[in-house]
Amino acid sequence: MAFAWKASGLTYNKYLSVAARVVRRSLKDDKRLAAERRGEMELRFAKWNNGKQGDNKSVADANAASMAEAGPQSS
Amino acid sequence: MMLSRATRPALKAAAPLRTFATLREIEDRLKSIRNIEKITNTMKIVASTKLTRAQRAMTESRKYGQTSNAVFEQAETKPLEGDDKKTLIVVASSDKGLCGGIHSGLTKRVRRMLIEKPNADIVVLGEKCKAQLSRSNAKNIQLSFAGIGKDIPTFADAQAIADQISLLPTDYGSIQIVYNKFINATSYEATPIEAFSEEAIVASPNFAAFEIDDEVLSNLREYALSNALFWALAEGHACEQSARRNAMDNASKNAGDMITKYQILFNRTRQAVITGELVEIITGAAASEE
Repeated sequence: MAFAWKASGLTYNKYLSVAARVVRRSLKDDKRLAAERRGEMELRFAKWNNGKQGDNKSVADANAASMAEAGPQSS
Repeated sequence: MMLSRATRPALKAAAPLRTFATLREIEDRLKSIRNIEKITNTMKIVASTKLTRAQRAMTESRKYGQTSNAVFEQAETKPLEGDDKKTLIVVASSDKGLCGGIHSGLTKRVRRMLIEKPNADIVVLGEKCKAQLSRSNAKNIQLSFAGIGKDIPTFADAQAIADQISLLPTDYGSIQIVYNKFINATSYEATPIEAFSEEAIVASPNFAAFEIDDEVLSNLREYALSNALFWALAEGHACEQSARRNAMDNASKNAGDMITKYQILFNRTRQAVITGELVEIITGAAASEE
C-alpha cells in the first residue's frame, strides 16, 4: 500500500497538518478564528555545524523546501 | 536582567556613602525601587493569568502524550541497547527568562546526560538553553529552534520540529526529550521522555499484538515523536509560567522589604537634618543674644 502523499515527498506530520488546516478552514467563522490560532507556527531554526551556529531560517519555509526537494522521487 | 543592570550603578554609589547619603539620594532610590516593584507586580499578574491557560493546555496535552505512549507500553517497547546507534537529546526550554532556575535545571540535567553519553547530539528548543549549552557543549548541538514560548505551544509547532528532527542526516537509536515535569506549583523536575526509533518499535516483545504494516511504521514513529514533543512543550510552558509567577512574587516581596527599609532610613535622615538645623538656629540665636 503506497501513499500518494508519501510518494510526493510529504512526511506524515506534514500530511496531518495539511489535513488539519483544511478542516480548520471549513469551520464556521466564529469557531474558525479560534481554531486557526491553534494552527499558527512561527518558529525559526538554525543548523549548527561543529560548534558554530548557522543562519536563522524560518521552519515553515525550510520544511516546504525540503519536501519539494524530496518530491520528484517516485516510489 | 535589564532591571538589575539598571539599578546597579545607583547601588554602588549609595553603598560607601550610606551614612552620608543626602535626602535627595535616598528619595531617588526609593522612587526607583517603587517602580521596580510595580513592574514585577504587573509581570506576576500577567504570569498568573497565563498560568491558568497554560495549565489547562498542559493537562490536555499530557493526556494526549500518555495515550500515544500507551501503544508502546502495551507493546512493551524498550529503547535499544548497544552503543552503535547515536542518541539525540531534545531540550524543551523557551525564549524567555525572568522565571527562576527552570532553564538552568534543564541544562544541568542535559550536561549530566552528556557525561554518560558524550557523543550524543542535541537539539535545543528555545534561546535560553541554547545560550547555556552553547557555552559548554557547542559541538554537540545539531539544531536550535527559536520563537518558542511566546504563547501556548501549538501542535503545529511540535509537528514542524518533529519534521526537522526526522530530516536530520543521522539515524538515531533513541531520542530523549528533556522537559520540566510539573510536580506542583513550586517544584519542577527536569525529566526525559523517550521517543522510540523504528527498530526499537519492531524489536518490542509484544509487537505482534498490533497489526502494523511496515509502511505505516515510520508514520507512527513521526507521529509519536510530535506527540511527545507537544506534551513536553506544553508541560514545560506551564512550568515556566508558574516559575515566573513565583519569581516575580518573590521579587515584589523583596522590593517591598527594601521600600520599608529605605523609608525608615529616609525618615531618620530627615529627622537628623531637621535636628541639625534646629541646633544651628538655637546656638546662633543664643550666641547673638549675648
